Amino acid sequence: MAKWGMVIDLEKCVGCQACTIACGMENNRLPGENWQDVIFFTEGTYPSAQLKWFPRPCQHCENPSCMAVCPTGATYKTEDGVVLVDWNKCIGCKYCMVACPYGVRFYTDEKPLIAPDMRKVYPSKDDHSWNPPWKMPDAREDWKHGVGIQPHDVVSKCTFCYHRVSKAPPGTPDLDPQDPKLREFTPACVVTCAPGARFFGDLSNPESNVSRMIGDKRGVRLLDQLGNKPQVYYLTGVGGAVPSNRAIHKKS
Amino acid sequence: MDLEFLKTAITRRRFLQASAAAGAAGAAGVGFNGLGLRTLSEAQASAAPSGGQTVITKSFCHQCPARCGIDVYTTDGRVHAVFGTLDNPLSMGKLCPKGHYGQYFLYNADRFKGPMKRTNPKKGRTEDPKFVPISWDEALDTVAKRMNDLRAKNESHRFGLIYGRGWGATDVGVLQTLSKLYGSPNIGLGHSSMCSDGSEETKKILDGNHGYNAYDYANTNYMLVFGAGFLESFRPFNGNMQAWGVMRTKPAKTKVTFVDVHLNTSAASSDRAVLIKPGTDGAMALAIAHVLLTEGMWDRDFVGDFVPVTQPADPDAPRLPSYKFETGKTIDPATFNQKWVLGLPEWWNAVLKDCTPEWAEKITTVPAKIIHDVAREFGTTRPAIAIFERGAHAHTNGTYGAMAIHSLNALAGSMFAQGGMAYQLKSPAGKWPVNLDDFMDDYAKSPERKKPRIDMKGTDKWPMVSNMLQEVAKNHNAGAPYKLDSCMFYMTGPIFSGPDCTAWEKMLGEIFVINTSPFPDETSVFSDLILPDHTYLERLQVADTYPFQGYPISMIRTPAVKPIYDTRVFGDMLIDLGKRIKGSTGEYYKQLGNTENIIKGIASIFAEKPGDNGVNSYESWKEKGVWYQKPYLYRQIRGEFFEWDKLTQSYSKPMKPEEVKEKLLKTPSGKFEFKSGYLEEEHHVHYLMEKFGLPAEMIAFPQYLPANHAGGGDLHFVSPKLAMQAEGRSGNLPHVTASIQPSQGGKKTVYLEIHPETAAKRGIKDGDRVRIKSTVGSIEVYARLYGGIRPDTVALPMIHGHWGMGRWTKNSGVSGSTNEVTPNVSDAISGQCCYHSAKVFVEKV
Ligand code: SF4
Ligand code: SF4
Ligand code: SF4
Repeated sequence: MAKWGMVIDLEKCVGCQACTIACGMENNRLPGENWQDVIFFTEGTYPSAQLKWFPRPCQHCENPSCMAVCPTGATYKTEDGVVLVDWNKCIGCKYCMVACPYGVRFYTDEKPLIAPDMRKVYPSKDDHSWNPPWKMPDAREDWKHGVGIQPHDVVSKCTFCYHRVSKAPPGTPDLDPQDPKLREFTPACVVTCAPGARFFGDLSNPESNVSRMIGDKRGVRLLDQLGNKPQVYYLTGVGGAVPSNRAIHKKS
Repeated sequence: MDLEFLKTAITRRRFLQASAAAGAAGAAGVGFNGLGLRTLSEAQASAAPSGGQTVITKSFCHQCPARCGIDVYTTDGRVHAVFGTLDNPLSMGKLCPKGHYGQYFLYNADRFKGPMKRTNPKKGRTEDPKFVPISWDEALDTVAKRMNDLRAKNESHRFGLIYGRGWGATDVGVLQTLSKLYGSPNIGLGHSSMCSDGSEETKKILDGNHGYNAYDYANTNYMLVFGAGFLESFRPFNGNMQAWGVMRTKPAKTKVTFVDVHLNTSAASSDRAVLIKPGTDGAMALAIAHVLLTEGMWDRDFVGDFVPVTQPADPDAPRLPSYKFETGKTIDPATFNQKWVLGLPEWWNAVLKDCTPEWAEKITTVPAKIIHDVAREFGTTRPAIAIFERGAHAHTNGTYGAMAIHSLNALAGSMFAQGGMAYQLKSPAGKWPVNLDDFMDDYAKSPERKKPRIDMKGTDKWPMVSNMLQEVAKNHNAGAPYKLDSCMFYMTGPIFSGPDCTAWEKMLGEIFVINTSPFPDETSVFSDLILPDHTYLERLQVADTYPFQGYPISMIRTPAVKPIYDTRVFGDMLIDLGKRIKGSTGEYYKQLGNTENIIKGIASIFAEKPGDNGVNSYESWKEKGVWYQKPYLYRQIRGEFFEWDKLTQSYSKPMKPEEVKEKLLKTPSGKFEFKSGYLEEEHHVHYLMEKFGLPAEMIAFPQYLPANHAGGGDLHFVSPKLAMQAEGRSGNLPHVTASIQPSQGGKKTVYLEIHPETAAKRGIKDGDRVRIKSTVGSIEVYARLYGGIRPDTVALPMIHGHWGMGRWTKNSGVSGSTNEVTPNVSDAISGQCCYHSAKVFVEKV
């Protein structure tokens, strides 16, 4: 069994957000409810001013804190290492959203970011929260794996594009989108990333490029001290920035 | 829990039934119910279901001029995904964020559903046009009648057609034929002066090529960027990012210095960000050139060198030092042998000798030491390239400043070199099915048709420009040279995007306006007729590549779905209009038939010139989406020019100087001219002397002249384009607005970037509502305090502030277009609209 993981090379990432938009397209996300956000930070004053950014999908942790708190077992880990939400079981209690240290989970029925609410413009007549005319193929809907148009009252998150990845030929070490045979199995964000900052592969396969990169380029994991053991690794190279752990000053 | 599970399982089944029914209903045909109010579930129902099969259609992206090849995924009758085409040289399987917007445009809820006419004769921002649906026949007959009537009155020049993003033969090509046959110089007023003409004109002046460059980024080792959003808006964005991935991780990493007025993602990704005073980039480039020469770092193979000093015959006499460039001292032009350049000694003597980094520091505020460091890096790294775009040249002194920047490429020997820059080769194109000359009637051929264009391009007023769109409303309103009667708009909306844009409201209030946009916009508010175009995923359309790596590429769009509304592709709309023009014009268009015939004509050449991917016909072109032939044909290697040799697969056929002049350095001298022969042409000299107050002997050189900052305020104002912005079209896409980043982004709005000190002086806090004011107008926005912008500058992206665009632009938090405060000022040489040259006041509301 593969243990899927992602490597994001922050030295190459240019903060274009194509990953965000491709994910939103592939997974029919509502505006701003990005399973894959690029988070921007600014700090200081020129010449010391900094503008940094950081693409953040679900970390697909080895020890997912979201899973530990889920009262219904809706959040689970697949055999191939992916953390998913079974929408048939999710009761929308949002415990997982609180428990996840990475803030990657989305509840359906939030206030819309931008009015008018797209869910009202493209209303659904059934349990789906909306019915966009550009929605994914009907056959792709797979609520057990949290794939589809998000239904009402559930939590959703990045699935590692489970509808693509799970169909990859067994034993594939890396899902390289430039290989025409593997492209359709590769996560949408990895397919589109133009500078080639995103990589996807089998962390348990010593032959995989991702495994090697984590070693050679000293991959780091986000908030590693929490013990969640993300399966998303970041390469910081020169210039790539992982946000430092500093006190957060709340605005009074 | 169990109940929940059951419920969803059942609903899921129902859902499938429901969507199958919707597909069947749609097969009955496309309905039309008027004013753009049809729900999108109806729209989606009108596309044929495909039984769960996914069909991939080849097309090319529409969100910027780069034309990336795309795979459009359609399943169950719905377009649900757009990805880059893997074997397309422009996209190589990748896209920028904008590439993934296609489906949002196609199914946008605010699209026009069919042709309409205005019934409210009153026009104004707040006047409801009261559009009613009409048939295409009525719409086109109405326009044709106006055109025929004007022609009967000998006033065909008063019919205008203004276009922005044209793609090629099937749109711009068609309107050019209409201009000639019908007889109006104003059919085909282009927008390039409001785009980036300053860049093309600069290159024409120095190396004789009126065009953007093709770059060999993957092999460059140093990149010096002046005011071009390389990782946001500089084209081709997708290609740039792919090149960036290579440049920044190859064994010898490309070092990048980025010069701008604020820290954006491009600057932040670079090795060194230099924040320069707006409008002074040319001064920094001159100082770099100065250091390259005084420190002996120019490329001798391309530029040439000093002759050896003739030493005294007497062996005991003291030895003379070799010739060199010394600050403040002139050189004897006879002592310097120029190779592929012209006028270097003269330029040095007239301008460069005094342009030290210390001199430039006073102008640019960039510390002399930094300029020195950059110059040494640039001079000692090969290949090195200097690129620039609007940030640097959208100023009144823009061409002269940009000339200084582009000159660095000659000094570094990067012209046509590996890792340097070249120019895009044209694609071959087969003949159109009908010959236009056979249909020119006496009216069209009459000398009376030689009226000046309303934008006064090519007249004494603007003798050197390609277009002057920003002058149209001004001239119309003043009645000089005359007033237009009717005007059609294609892919542009100067009423929002033109400088001092409110002038267009007056003009459009007076004339008959025909808008061809598929979407509501500000032009529509003033329109008399709406003739909606297809969105791009519904179109059959062709284009040559935007400058990329130099080798020719031809792109084709094939429709991914049948048009979901009663729209018509612009080129066919024009042809159908032409058919209604009396006399031989009508005959021409009847014989031409439609745009598909043009495309077939163009594609016919591929039989004898098959593409590298085997494309040799119209059919195979549609199947692959692209024709191309690699490689680029020319290269300069250590000061010698070579042509590609197919046999040896190398650049090995030496080129004669005449060939270099004809094909590559197309200046009067066949050299890269630091002293421009083009500017010295007699009819330009007096114009330039007058416009820039220069003596005749100075007009031909790259130089720094202070920019004229109109607007009357105390802060420079720039309106950059962010990575997520699809030109003028994305304001009504909530997916875009919600994700706009970085420092100017907000979930619902875009912010005015202002330096904390500048804000404090005005009592402005983060998030405050502020007013931006200039001599031409004022708008209100929210402020964001940002230490990454110069204290003397504020920046607001031009995306929001729409007042006629659609339901998702209503609460954008920006009260008007950035162009309501941007005065209409242009560079006298290129005609470039000075979008980044305004000065404004900012105050708390
Ligand atoms: S697509 Fe790639 S380069 Fe762009 S923001 Fe995402 S990870 Fe970074
Ligand atoms: S892996 Fe798929 S679901 Fe996850 S961020 Fe990427 S595109 Fe989105
Ligand atoms: S670079 Fe331009 S053409 Fe290519 S995907 Fe982006 S917007 Fe489309």
